[in-house]
Amino acid sequence: MTVDVAARLDRSTLDVGGAEVTVARGGEGDPLLYLHGLCGDVHSSFPGTDWTPFLGRLGANFDVVAPALPGYNGSAGPAGFDDVEDYVFHLADLLEVLDIESVCLVGHSFGAWMAAELALRRPDLVEAMVLLSPLGVRVRGLAVPPFFGAVAPRGIGGFAEARQLLFADPEGEAARRALPDDMGREHQLLWFGGLQGAARLGWAAPHFQSPVLTRRLRRIDVPTLVVRGGADRLVPDQMAEVWVRSMPEAQLHEVPGVGHCLPAERPEVAADVEGFLGEFHGGLP
Amino acid sequence: MNFFFFHLMPWPNLAPPREFLAEHEAAWVTLSNAEYDPVAGQDLYRRYLDELVYAEELGFDGLVVNEHHQNAYGLMPSPNLVAAALTQRTERAKICVLGNAVTLYNPPTRVAEEMAMLDVMSGGRLIAGLVVGGGPEYYSYNVNPTEARPRFKEALDLVVKAWTTPGPFAYDGDYYHLPYVNPWPRPLQQPHPPVWIPGLGSPSTIEFCADKGFGYMGVAYYAPPETFGRQAQAYHAAVAAAGRPYDPELLGWLTTIYVAETDDRAVEEAAPHMAYFQANLAAGFVGAGKVWMPPGYIDPPALVQFLDDLRAQAEGPRPSDPREAMAARSPLVGSPETVRQRLADYVKRHKIGTVLGLLQFGSLPADLTARSMRLYAEEVIPYVRKEADEHFAREGLMRP
Repeated sequence: MTVDVAARLDRSTLDVGGAEVTVARGGEGDPLLYLHGLCGDVHSSFPGTDWTPFLGRLGANFDVVAPALPGYNGSAGPAGFDDVEDYVFHLADLLEVLDIESVCLVGHSFGAWMAAELALRRPDLVEAMVLLSPLGVRVRGLAVPPFFGAVAPRGIGGFAEARQLLFADPEGEAARRALPDDMGREHQLLWFGGLQGAARLGWAAPHFQSPVLTRRLRRIDVPTLVVRGGADRLVPDQMAEVWVRSMPEAQLHEVPGVGHCLPAERPEVAADVEGFLGEFHGGLP
Repeated sequence: MNFFFFHLMPWPNLAPPREFLAEHEAAWVTLSNAEYDPVAGQDLYRRYLDELVYAEELGFDGLVVNEHHQNAYGLMPSPNLVAAALTQRTERAKICVLGNAVTLYNPPTRVAEEMAMLDVMSGGRLIAGLVVGGGPEYYSYNVNPTEARPRFKEALDLVVKAWTTPGPFAYDGDYYHLPYVNPWPRPLQQPHPPVWIPGLGSPSTIEFCADKGFGYMGVAYYAPPETFGRQAQAYHAAVAAAGRPYDPELLGWLTTIYVAETDDRAVEEAAPHMAYFQANLAAGFVGAGKVWMPPGYIDPPALVQFLDDLRAQAEGPRPSDPREAMAARSPLVGSPETVRQRLADYVKRHKIGTVLGLLQFGSLPADLTARSMRLYAEEVIPYVRKEADEHFAREGLMRP
C-alpha cells in the first residue's frame, strides 16, 4: 500500500510547560507516540524532512505524533532538566497539551529508553509499547562500543566510523543519507545538537545504561515488543535479553541483517510494529 | 612587560608525522600508553625540569606548567607536582600553573588546597590558572561535557571563595554542596593569587575574564597570528565594557618561539619539530584526523565553525617557501633581529603585557632548546621589554 503521508504531515511548535517542542504529526487512526533515536530517524540527522518511510507506513494506520526530544530540531528541554524524571514528565505534559489520553508507544534507541521510562511511571498513558533497538539497560561487565567516541567528528574524512557502528551496511543508502561525509551546515547543526541533547542524560557513566531502570524493569507490565536488529553493533544482544527476561509482558523479535538504526535501514519493520500493536489495540484495518 | 617560559613536557619519541598519522587517529584519548617508556621518561622529566630552572637563570619572569591527561601532548597530568618541585629549585620567578582543570576534581576544594600550598611554599610566587579542561579530557575522565561550562564557573567560584572567605563556611551550589569549607593552608598572596584563564577565543571566556579582573591567555599555536589579534581586540572591548582600567599584563599570548643565528637556520632547525608538534601531538583536537570534541563542550554552531576552520587550514594553500610557510603560522621563528622586530610590533599593536613563549615544542631536543632560550633571553627580551614598557608608559597603560 502506498500512502502519501507527506502531504498530510503537520509540523508545529508547541509550548509544553514553557519549553518549545517541535512536533511532526501525520497519518490517520488512533494516536501513536513515536520517540525517535540518536541517528537516522525523524528529527535526528535527516534534515529538511520530518517524515521517514518507516513513519509513512505507520501513518497508514495511526495518527503518528513524533516530538523532537530535547536538544533535537529546535526542541528545548524543560528548564534546568538534568534527569530522566524531568524528561518523562515532560513527555506526559506533551500528551496532555495534545489532549491525548492514552497511546500506542513506539521508541527507537534513545527514544526507546525514554519510552520505557514513561511506561514505568505512567502506565495509564500507554496501551502497548514497541521498543526498537532500545538503549537504557545496564549489564555490568559487558563490552559496549563507546558511542560518543565513535561519533566524534573528523577534521577531514567524514563519518565512516559512526556509520560503521550504527548501520549494518555502513555504505548503504540509509547510512549515507543519515551521515554523509560531506554533511552540510544545517545537517551538522541537527546532528551535533541532537548529540548534545542525548549526552545530557546519556553521558552519565556508563553511557546510555541506567542501573535504576534495569532494576525496575519488572514493574513495567505494559504489553511490549522488543525489536532487535541482528547486526546491531552498538547494543549487544545480551541487553535485548535483559529487557524480555525482566519485563513480565515483553517478547523479543529479531530482524536479521539490520543495524542499530533499524527504522532507517529496514522501514518494512513497520509491519511487525503494526502487527503487534494490532493485537492489543482495536481498530486496525 | 612579562616574559614567561611555558613548557608542555611533550613525549618526543613518536614516529615522524606521516608514519604516525598512517597508524593512529590521534595522540589523545586512544593512543596506547604502551608507547610511553618510563625508563626514557626519567631522563625526560629531569631534562624538562632543568629547562624550567634554566629559564629562571636566564631572567624569564615566570615559569608555566599545565595539566593534560592521557595523551602524548603533555606529560603533566598533575602540574602541581612539577610546580612543587619548582618551588624548591627556583627563587625568584613566578610559578604559573596554567592551569588546573577544576571540573575534573571533585570536590574542587582540592585545587584550592594544592594551590594554596604552592603559594605558601613558593613565597607567594603562584599564578593560579583555572581551566575548563580540553575536550579530549572529558572523554578521558568521563565528565559530562554538557555541564562543562556551568560546572567550571561554579568550581572557580568555590575555589576563590575558599581562598578568601574565612572558614569554615558552607557552600551550596548546583554541582557542589559542602557543609564545611575550611582549607588549610590559606594562600600567602592576598586577597588571593592572580587568576589567569587560557582560551581559544570564546567570547564568553574573554568577557568572563574581563569582568572578573582575571588574566586572559590566548592560545595561538594552531592558528595564524591574526586569529589571536581578534581575541586581543575582543579582550580590549570587554575590559572597557566592564569599566576596568586596562592592565596589559592580564592579556597574554601563548605562542611558539625559536631563535637561531639566522632566519634560514632557525626555520630549518625548527621545522621538523614544529611539524611533530602540530601534526603528531595536536592530532586529536586539531588537524585532519579525529577531533575529540564531545557534544555540548561547545555549542553546535561553534563546533561547526571550528570544523570549518580546521578544514580550511588543512585544505587551504600553503606558501611553498619554507620561510613564508613558517611565518604564516609561527612568526616568532627566526634570527634575534627578526623575532625582536615582529614581537615588539605585535605586543605594542595588541597591548599584550605577557608573552608566554613555548620555547620547547614537539621533539625539539635539549641542545637546540637551550640555545634558542639563551638567544631569546639575551638578544630579544631586553629589547622588547624596553620598547614595550616605554610604549605602554606613553599610552598610560603601565601598572601604578
